[in-house]
Amino acid sequence: MSIPGASVGEVVLAVEGVKLRLGETQILDGVTFDVRDRIRVDAVTGQVVALLGPSGVGKTRLLRIIAGLDPPDAGTVRGVKGESLPAGTVGVVFQDYPLLRHRTIDDNLVVAGRIGGLEREGAEKRAKELLETFGLADRASFYPGQLSGGQRQRAAIAQQLVVPRRFLLLDEPFSGLDPAALEDVSKLIVDVANLDELNTIVVITHDIRAAMSVSDSVYMLGRDHDGEGRIIPGAKIQATYDLVDEGLAWQEGLLENPRFVALEKEIRGRFREL
Amino acid sequence: MLAASGGCARDGGDFLAVYAQAERGDVSFVRVFAPNSVVDRKTAGIVVGFWAAVMFTLWAASPFATLPTPKDIWVALSDLWWNQGLGPELFTTIRLITHATLITSLLALLLAYATVVPFFRPLVEGASKLRFLGLTGLVFPLTLLTGGGYALKVALLTFGMASFFVTSMAEIVLEIPRSEFDHMRVLGASEPVIVWEVVVRGTLDRALEVLRQNVAIGWSMITMVEGISRAEGGIGAVILNENKHFKLAEVYAILIVILIVGLAIDYAVGVFRNIVCPHARLGKVVR
Repeated sequence: MSIPGASVGEVVLAVEGVKLRLGETQILDGVTFDVRDRIRVDAVTGQVVALLGPSGVGKTRLLRIIAGLDPPDAGTVRGVKGESLPAGTVGVVFQDYPLLRHRTIDDNLVVAGRIGGLEREGAEKRAKELLETFGLADRASFYPGQLSGGQRQRAAIAQQLVVPRRFLLLDEPFSGLDPAALEDVSKLIVDVANLDELNTIVVITHDIRAAMSVSDSVYMLGRDHDGEGRIIPGAKIQATYDLVDEGLAWQEGLLENPRFVALEKEIRGRFREL
Repeated sequence: MLAASGGCARDGGDFLAVYAQAERGDVSFVRVFAPNSVVDRKTAGIVVGFWAAVMFTLWAASPFATLPTPKDIWVALSDLWWNQGLGPELFTTIRLITHATLITSLLALLLAYATVVPFFRPLVEGASKLRFLGLTGLVFPLTLLTGGGYALKVALLTFGMASFFVTSMAEIVLEIPRSEFDHMRVLGASEPVIVWEVVVRGTLDRALEVLRQNVAIGWSMITMVEGISRAEGGIGAVILNENKHFKLAEVYAILIVILIVGLAIDYAVGVFRNIVCPHARLGKVVR
């Protein structure tokens, strides 16, 4: 039931055997998955991957490792052609949409450009383009404290895109959004991913439906249980769903598709066991 | 019993109705007394005027012989200003506090920002603990170090303000959430850029607020410090001289000048903060 004309190419992100221990607690225990370039005939298609898992399972810890902010105790994270990914090469939009509160939105983007090596003029031009793309042109001179949650989220994503990046990690991007805002964010994620063939967006969330609606792959992060149902510390990838193989990616009206609903139910059931 | 409960509910209902009206602003007079309500500028001005009038009336009608009347103080103030050179003395004091504030800000901010480097943290912690030392015992060693006079006064004021300034600023720097540093790291910023953007620029509004508090601390110490070495004059020296001669009206007149100038400095620092850091006003709750 794969989507016609779709195939996979090279590995763009490889997470292998990542382990992390905090004090006496094993948080991650051999997390392994890879993301491959999605190829579609006549369409630039980036990758959108959902990393699902219950609260406290270690999703954000894994995000920090992928972003190069924390080193793992063991394991590796590699990008296209096996390149390493130090901090600064992977864009991250944290859950609270951080921005420099003492700078205007326009300035926030310009600073990101300057840090990324652009000349001032180039950074200003890029900031202006992005603010228009993200519907924030009329908020350019506002401070972050003057924006609504949705505007702040868009500004935070735009800031990560001033300098072109292959990877963007979004931590709980659907949290606290109303249905209209959720649709907007979902569209934004897909649009950003499709800006370049090798763009990869990893969405870390526990919102199953929203995650499935934007992704081409779903990875479920969870812990094992012993014979008596007790949690064994140390999360790993417990299940993988290829939504392209299932014919459930890149389509309008997915949410009403009976097969989508059935898969969502299956994933939800699995989620409860994590 | 039933009737009592009914009465209670009715009273409560009436109160809630009035309260709701007050919240909507339908009854502006009631609104002033409604807990947690917001009043407009005009109403706030009327409330301030009311309390000022009450205080002034109490003062004017005071039976205490040791409290000069407003008229006595006004006459004393005119004499001090026009005949006894209060203006130049005030200028001397303002120059002193400005000098000490500049040195304090430089020293304290450098120390506070240094907390980002673990090597300097014990030094900053130590400087912060010096606030428990009183100034009195330090007069002698600081006199020997500075040679006395103006330099001694600057040193005393600086010591008095800097230890508090360092304490507050170091706490602000240490409390910067880790996410703000991480945010800059994912943008690819180097650590010196992160320090400049997050630690220095990101806390500038709070630094100016701490400065505001510390100038107030310095200003409240000014009479004591100027009293230690009176040769250079200053408003502190003048008030101590008037104290000595038991000229109560003059003493109160100078106290009022100290209060007004202190408030003006506080206001000026506040305005400067709002100009330099317009974002600082965004989080302010208006009541």
